Amino acid sequence: MKILIVEDEKALSDSMVEYLDEEGHNCEAIYNYFDAIDKIGLYQYDCIVVDINLPDGNGLDLIRFIKKKSILMGVIIISALNSLENRIEGLEIGADNYLTKPFHLAELNAHLKSINRRVSYGGSNQIIMNEIKLIPDEHKAFVNDQEITLTKKEYELLLFFISNKNKVITKSGLAEYLWGDYMDLADSYDFIYTHIKNLRRKLLKEGCEDYIKTIYGLGYKFESN
Amino acid sequence: MRLLNKITLNLLSISLFIFLFGMVAFYYVLREQVDQNINLELEKRKKSITKELDSAHSTTNPTVNLSEKVLITLLNKPRPLISFSDTLIFNPDENKYAIYRQLGFVKVIGDQSYFIQIFKPLEETDRLIVRIVMMMNLLIIIIIITLLIANRHSSRQDWKVFYDSIDKINNYDVNSFEAFSLKHSDIKEFADLNRVLLTMTERIKNDYLNLKEYIENASHEIQTPLAIINSKMELLLQWGDMKEKQYKIVADAYEASNRLSRLNKTLILLAKIENRQFPESNPVNPAIMINHQLESLEDLILSKKIKITKRFDDEVTILINPYLAEILLVNLIKNAIRHNITGGDLILELSKNRFEIANSGPPLQMDPEMLFKRFHKASTSPESLGLGLAIVQKICTLYGYKIGYSYKNEMHVMHVDFK
Repeated sequence: MKILIVEDEKALSDSMVEYLDEEGHNCEAIYNYFDAIDKIGLYQYDCIVVDINLPDGNGLDLIRFIKKKSILMGVIIISALNSLENRIEGLEIGADNYLTKPFHLAELNAHLKSINRRVSYGGSNQIIMNEIKLIPDEHKAFVNDQEITLTKKEYELLLFFISNKNKVITKSGLAEYLWGDYMDLADSYDFIYTHIKNLRRKLLKEGCEDYIKTIYGLGYKFESN
Repeated sequence: MRLLNKITLNLLSISLFIFLFGMVAFYYVLREQVDQNINLELEKRKKSITKELDSAHSTTNPTVNLSEKVLITLLNKPRPLISFSDTLIFNPDENKYAIYRQLGFVKVIGDQSYFIQIFKPLEETDRLIVRIVMMMNLLIIIIIITLLIANRHSSRQDWKVFYDSIDKINNYDVNSFEAFSLKHSDIKEFADLNRVLLTMTERIKNDYLNLKEYIENASHEIQTPLAIINSKMELLLQWGDMKEKQYKIVADAYEASNRLSRLNKTLILLAKIENRQFPESNPVNPAIMINHQLESLEDLILSKKIKITKRFDDEVTILINPYLAEILLVNLIKNAIRHNITGGDLILELSKNRFEIANSGPPLQMDPEMLFKRFHKASTSPESLGLGLAIVQKICTLYGYKIGYSYKNEMHVMHVDFK
């Protein structure tokens, strides 16, 4: 997937490019508003990741420009502004997601994967990873074509793992993905432990390989070759 | 006007009014007394005249009323020319001595000198004097009491502004968005005091707002560097060739910076609630929201074997910002799950004016007041920010809800009164 990253903080932009390139995306980093307008006019992208506060303009205007020109691409806003109005405004003008800084790269990646599925297959696809099959529209999961009943959170967890397979996923990254901001995360880690324990049990029961590895003190890794 | 002048003027005007009124009253009362006195005297004269008439044909000497009696004696030796004196004279009618005032003077008729004495009874006048004195005392007492009441009343009017100011200062909240205003007073001291108070509160408010703005800006500015730190660490963690020791170091640093991010986000949220940056309110059905939250926490509830009892009035809607409503309910529910015991109860009750959530657990080891304090943690878990209930309380304050805690039947009960 071709991704345009519009973020004026070079260090942050570099991190995103590195993480996403490893995931097999083709990222291009742009550091200001006018360069972004030029790029959008010249090339075709599948998705744009845009910061709201740019040195020479507003990221929201960039989205309005894209929508006005009817350019088909996924839009993810990343912003330090975390007011509800900004969030609503961003989503109203056509953004797919709104992430507040600081965010987890794994979360950004998961959102991009979901956009990718929508852009590439119209969203009605299946995610197949070895013996695991997910149907995102129906929130259904299969192991060896045998449906397994997952709770909503367990399903989200599995989807997140598969989106970020072979990556170290931290517990806090998982917690924030599953429950959002403003959660006092005191025992969210216990929550996660419970969820993962149940998910693993359900997967193993149907003869699934044990992909979920615990990385002590840090988080988890969904390992598959 | 100065307070002292005002008080003096008040007193003066009140006394003037009362004395004028008192004078008129006194005139009529006195008049009445004098009339009575004269009536009495006239009665006496009537009696004596009747007596005189009755005795006109009898042989006995008529008794003469002393007040009309003129005693004339031939003067042999020289006498003082004129003299006033009191004297006691026996009154056979009443068979007692009565006190009289007499005037004696000398009149020369021809070559003879006569000493003439005239009398006036003092008894009636005495009575009159006593009555007048009593009347006066009564009047003075009435005047003093009226004066006191009137003065108190008018003073209270003057001091009202002062007490009002004291009250307002006492309840002054630098966080309040209502304009701080004090009642106008035409008394110089109070006007001065109010002016000083207004400038002072204005200054405090400005300082406070500046400080708040600074903190907000700082919080926002911190977000971007934090985002960079977090992303770099996340990348670092993906390096497969790190030793376990190195992993541990990066993991610890990563956790810490994550905590900082969450803390920062939460503090920004708290500041926003304080600044009332969630203005739009919509009717929210808490029952639906609670059910939704319970669903998303289902796994945890199951794993802790918590028994849920719901008593909901499904029709209840409250007018609140939906986002804040969610934060409020999530925090309360999560709190009740976190501090629950394995196999414990979770009782949720929702009625028109109240939401109550109760969970099993051992009694608190601390002052319940501390529950809502920022950064106060019940657990020693480093992931806990200790801000959950502080946020809950802030939201309640914003909407004027009352939140309270109690412990009964071995259950912690949190309740929110919507009205």
